[in-house]
Amino acid sequence: MISNVTSFALAGLEGVPVTVETDVNKGVPGFEMVGLPDAAVKESKERVRSALKNSGLQFPVVKVTVNLAPADLKKEGASFDLAVAVGLLKASEQLVGAELSGIVFLGELSLDGSLRPVRGLLPILISAKARGFTTFVIPAENAGEARFLDGVEVYPLATLSEVVRFLLGEAVTDPVEPIAYVPGAKGEGSSDLKFVRGQPMARRAVEIAVAGGHNLLLVGPPGTGKTMIARCIPTIMPDLSFSEALEITKIHSVAGILGEEGIVTERPFRTPHHTATTVSMCGGGNRVVHPGEISLAHGGVLFLDELPEYKRSTLEALRQPLEDGKITVSRAGGSFTYPARFMLCASMNPCPCGNYGSEKLTCSCSPAEIRNYRRKVSGPLLDRIDIQVEVDAIAYDDLTADEQQESSEEVRERVNMARAIQRNRFEGEGLSTNAEMGERELREFCTLSKECDRILRDTFERLQLSARARARIIKVARTIADLDGSEEIMPRHMLEAVSYRLPEFR
Amino acid sequence: MTQEELGILWLAGCTDWDNRTAAALLRAAKSPSRLLEEYEKIAPSVIHSPDARLYKERGARFAALEKLEKELEREGCFAVTVLSDDYPESLRNIASPPLLLYAKGNRALLSERKFCIVGSRVTAQWAASFGKDIAAELSKHFCIVTGLAEGGDLAAVEGALPSGRLISVLPCGLKECYPASHFSYKEKIAKGGLILSEYPLSETVKKYSFHERNRLLAGLSEGVLVLSAGERSGALITANCAAEFGRDVFALPYRPGETRGVGCNELIKKGALLTTSAEDILSFYGFESGKEEAQPALTPQEAKVYEVLKEGGELHSSVIAERAGMRVFEAAAVLSSLEIKGFAVKAGGNRYSIAR
Repeated sequence: MISNVTSFALAGLEGVPVTVETDVNKGVPGFEMVGLPDAAVKESKERVRSALKNSGLQFPVVKVTVNLAPADLKKEGASFDLAVAVGLLKASEQLVGAELSGIVFLGELSLDGSLRPVRGLLPILISAKARGFTTFVIPAENAGEARFLDGVEVYPLATLSEVVRFLLGEAVTDPVEPIAYVPGAKGEGSSDLKFVRGQPMARRAVEIAVAGGHNLLLVGPPGTGKTMIARCIPTIMPDLSFSEALEITKIHSVAGILGEEGIVTERPFRTPHHTATTVSMCGGGNRVVHPGEISLAHGGVLFLDELPEYKRSTLEALRQPLEDGKITVSRAGGSFTYPARFMLCASMNPCPCGNYGSEKLTCSCSPAEIRNYRRKVSGPLLDRIDIQVEVDAIAYDDLTADEQQESSEEVRERVNMARAIQRNRFEGEGLSTNAEMGERELREFCTLSKECDRILRDTFERLQLSARARARIIKVARTIADLDGSEEIMPRHMLEAVSYRLPEFR
Repeated sequence: MTQEELGILWLAGCTDWDNRTAAALLRAAKSPSRLLEEYEKIAPSVIHSPDARLYKERGARFAALEKLEKELEREGCFAVTVLSDDYPESLRNIASPPLLLYAKGNRALLSERKFCIVGSRVTAQWAASFGKDIAAELSKHFCIVTGLAEGGDLAAVEGALPSGRLISVLPCGLKECYPASHFSYKEKIAKGGLILSEYPLSETVKKYSFHERNRLLAGLSEGVLVLSAGERSGALITANCAAEFGRDVFALPYRPGETRGVGCNELIKKGALLTTSAEDILSFYGFESGKEEAQPALTPQEAKVYEVLKEGGELHSSVIAERAGMRVFEAAAVLSSLEIKGFAVKAGGNRYSIAR
């Protein structure tokens, strides 16, 4: 007898339906699995055998053939276990009367018959729903991820025997109750701008960067709070909307780093170490491509501490995603596109010894050493960093001062206001922040007065900027004007934007 | 080029005799042209361990000379010998004047009045911007002489280059460049001014060549202005040479304890002329200072910040903002406007100072 059970495989951020066909025939007892399964899928035979026996069910002593269709799609991972087990039970007539069509089975089996959680459930649910599937049987531990999707019936079950009883109608299980999305609470953590002492320039730079979605470079001596300031960035970013949250959750689910709550409610803050490889940064893998740090930072912040220490090739690989907001990774197993619209925040010392520009300490580096250190970061990458700001060495008095600094919440209000202006401006344009503007939008929304043009021209010549840097300065000026509530870009906005290009980093 | 000059060109350009031996050879030969013609006869009386290569017959010597002349032509360079009419007079009275100078660019500059501006490689931004202005101002009356290093030298180069009255003396051959990153500057100076060196075209830089070059800087000029000098700085060697040769030494004053200016203050203590403007130098040489104190065209806000900067030192932008009664980011905009207009310079670490 033949049975058909539906399951799903992951291809990038998309779920692809896989039909598990099981045929039970008389003959020499055996178990054959076809349809491009990888090692983990093939091993499901052993897991299914033990799980069936330990759940009080029969593993049929006949010739069993399992086909995973479509046959040309490579399947990996253990998430087909449940579908294989159910198919086998159906084919060996242990599930008489149970209706399996229209149900999607997902889950890994352990030897005692309990169900383990699988990676990438949310993207599969979303893709399956789009294809008209509405009923799902999933491991109980994955229930969190399913709570934010409505219009589907998702049954979270803990063991194989529960699944059998559910299919036979012997037990009643309630589907997952959908709940409303609530953005994550902010200001609870230890990161808040009110803890940052002094640093008026850096505070302002962070505010502008977040308001317009600009990339940011913090240059300063060691131990002056560059990292601390960077960690405050998520606290002043606007709340995640539901659609953004879903998109980020999909990526995190595929990467298998989703927490128990089942959805990402806070903007990610990723800090890959400077030993990170290009593949870990951009995504990759042998057959199935996993999202890299830049995709995990989608919607949030990618913080690169000590920028010059990163491998050159790794940094250069960021250039294209910084422009496009997505990355396409091609491997033998296929080519996958992951979103990667993140805010890049990088930090570095001003020179190898770290004291350049310090008021009290003497820098012991020669000009050539300083130049070589800074050259480790390529011009094209620096071009893409719209705001470059120096972080001050902090005086002891500043550290001990009791004066209350502006908190993240106050700054966030201004950021939200500027973002609202941008939303209005880009209504129907498919953009959300100034930083995303293209040449056309620049022409439309950033008309420059004669005075502004003159300032820009002078700076262009003085700093020997590229055309891209010029466009980016205009975008920053636009954001500063938005923060100021000004319709027009005034000379003072342009002048401030220009001051965020460090002459040493041209 | 006369026969005599060719003799010098061969002696200094095709042999590697040091200055002393060369002088002895010239003395023995009575004239450079005779040395070139009859070297094998004259040399044994002067040199005890003669270099066998040079004993080749007369034809080989002329071939070497021709080769050198061809190379000079190919590189667009020319040679100025101690016998040339336009060999700088001031060089003749220094301890060991070079027999031969290689040059590229505007030859007429050699005959002009010359003034030297130098500074160490670690020159503060404000001092560099100050030096640039002084160089621009002085280049109306003098040809500015300097090196090609970063910091002080480059400030003088940038100030004087637009006027074209600029001589840059290299510590290496003219085909080389030190520091190599300033190659484009070298090319620009060769086009608009003059580059000079006493070393053969392809000679690379040696440790001692900086000292020798500094002696030329001082020797060429009537006076030397030191923009910046730490405790031990090449600029001090130039100043010491200048004092030795009887040239006037000028120095920029620094705040006590400022490491980048210790050498300058030390020079002033020893009698160098304290200099705070181009006018100081021009009036010393009896020039009418043509510079009217042009009232800068500043907006009220800029004027306010400019007043604060005038208080002196490198000030942090938050201090400037506080004193000018503005918010920090407003002050930042005003400061960057002053920077564009050339009234302020950024010193690193969000600190600014006055530019002139």
